[in-house]
Amino acid sequence: MKDREPGIKGSRDQVSDLNPGTVGQGPQRPTPEPLNPAVVARGLTRVYRRGAEKIRALKGIDLDIQCGEFVGVVGHSGAGKTTLLNLVGLMDRATEGSLSVLGHDTARRGVRFDALRRKNIGFVFQEFYLMSTLTALENVLLPSMWGRGNEERRTRNEEQPKGIRGRAMELLDRVGLKQRMTHRPSELSGGEMQRVAVARALVNSPRLLLADEPTGNLDTVTRDGIFDLLLALNRDSGLTVIVATHDLSLESRFTRVIRLEDGVVK
Amino acid sequence: MIWFSLAFKNLIRRKTRSILTVLGVAIAIAVLYSLFEFQQGYQSRLKGELGALGAHVMVVPKGCPYEAATIALHGGKWPRYMDESLLAKVKANPGVAEAAGVIMDAVFAPGNKNVILLGIDEDYMKLRPAWHINGHWFDTDSSVIMGSTSAQEAGVKPGDYWVIPEKNVRLKVAGVLNRTNTQDDGFVFLPRKTLQKISGLEGKLVIILIKARQVDKTDELVASLKASEVDMNVFPLSELLGTIGALMASTKVFVSAIILIAVILGGVGVLNTVLMAVFERTREIGMMKAMGGSRGDVFKLVWAETILTTVLGGVAGVVIALVSSRLVEALIRGMIPYAPKGSLIGFSLPTMAMCVGLSLVLGLVAGFYPAFRAASVKPVEAIKAE
Repeated sequence: MKDREPGIKGSRDQVSDLNPGTVGQGPQRPTPEPLNPAVVARGLTRVYRRGAEKIRALKGIDLDIQCGEFVGVVGHSGAGKTTLLNLVGLMDRATEGSLSVLGHDTARRGVRFDALRRKNIGFVFQEFYLMSTLTALENVLLPSMWGRGNEERRTRNEEQPKGIRGRAMELLDRVGLKQRMTHRPSELSGGEMQRVAVARALVNSPRLLLADEPTGNLDTVTRDGIFDLLLALNRDSGLTVIVATHDLSLESRFTRVIRLEDGVVK
Repeated sequence: MIWFSLAFKNLIRRKTRSILTVLGVAIAIAVLYSLFEFQQGYQSRLKGELGALGAHVMVVPKGCPYEAATIALHGGKWPRYMDESLLAKVKANPGVAEAAGVIMDAVFAPGNKNVILLGIDEDYMKLRPAWHINGHWFDTDSSVIMGSTSAQEAGVKPGDYWVIPEKNVRLKVAGVLNRTNTQDDGFVFLPRKTLQKISGLEGKLVIILIKARQVDKTDELVASLKASEVDMNVFPLSELLGTIGALMASTKVFVSAIILIAVILGGVGVLNTVLMAVFERTREIGMMKAMGGSRGDVFKLVWAETILTTVLGGVAGVVIALVSSRLVEALIRGMIPYAPKGSLIGFSLPTMAMCVGLSLVLGLVAGFYPAFRAASVKPVEAIKAE
């Protein structure tokens, strides 16, 4: 089956469903249609060098994640969660093994990681990484600046009649920040900043959303709001979401959990 | 949002540092603009002043040629004189078409204003075909013709009386010159005999201006004049222009070295600042890359920031140079033996374009390495960096 177009589409009613607190709780959403592989890893290994010492962060793991899944990668600190997300997010290269992301063999020569990332993958980090000089809207627009041939995304077309700016505004509206678009990060709360980061991760209409401890810096109420938002994105648009977290209390909310321990899937 | 908008916002984020860096470039560019314009203005004004003399050759008493040039061009009191009998000898030379003997003196008017007095006769008029006198030529020994600026400052018109400051001699204003836009506007002209008498310099001359019969044989005329009389200096004005020009050219090398050092220092300052900013923003750069920014994107952004810094510095430098032009001119004038009158550092679009262009090149060069470093940042390492 062909992948559903990720990002957020649908009526205004669906939009309101995305507001935290009103979205469905946990995995009660409809089961996704038959899926294509989003991530396939075989014998994935990552070894770092620290001086003379070799650190095996991932020890030959096998992994299959289908499009449309909402996967949690859980484990304690140092288990290899971030290393796995960095590899899947094409920010790093494996030492050994094979990895295919959205059908692209990452070991193949000539694969441009930055272009693949830009077009297909959205990132949400624990520490938001918003630019302090830019407004919420400008931060969301930032990824649309990058890359040659990106003009199509920046201009208005049938798919995006309001252009990329219109899409960014719509995304901020959907994450509940319609009234905060012109605010700078210093004027936003932690939860609001993470919502901006989520909107930013979605602006280029990625097919895969990676979130590394997205709620690690938030209180429990805000944490649940962000989590609900990620769930809603997965449920309503079929976006494949992989969340790395050490918060074991969130396990029940994923459709599938990959448990990592000392670089190995348990 | 466009590239330069983002680059500009990044600069604003580090206001003090950015302002200091821009200032560093601005000072270098201001020095460049001022000195370059001064040299250009000097050459062109000097040419204009020499042209306004209406002569091809100048005869002055023995002494420093630059002092002689200053006296000839700007007037003044020079305690060196020639015997008036030399004028007849000069006139007798077959290569001379016209020759005018001039005596000069200077007095101070109230308010410490220097008034230059020139004693001339009808021969001087022959070197000034463009003169237009409101009024008439000297009708008595006690008459005076005033340059337009002098008349304006003294508040006199034809028919009025004017008293020479310090000398207390009352003269009737026979005429006032229409504006000539030359040094003549600031002079007061008296019959030569009258000024010689008032100044106690009977039978003396300060300068003889000569118009050659054949311009292409000026060198021969100079040679024959030099051969006929040993007690005077004979200069073709073209040589004077060349001599002063050579003096300026010798300073040009020194000045160029100063400019080069200033610009290099400005560039190193920019490089240092941008490089520091890149190190400080490693995580942010990593985030940009994680968002899909390519090496080229990051390179362009950092380069744009550097170029923006230097171009802003270039524009600010030109503004500083224009605002401080009078002060800079006064400083330079105090350091060189002769400088033409009038404003030498002016508004020049080509020089501005050159300065801003140079600041752009400076940005391109100084920004290359920091941009390269930023582009080389690995996102995964940058993001985990503390």
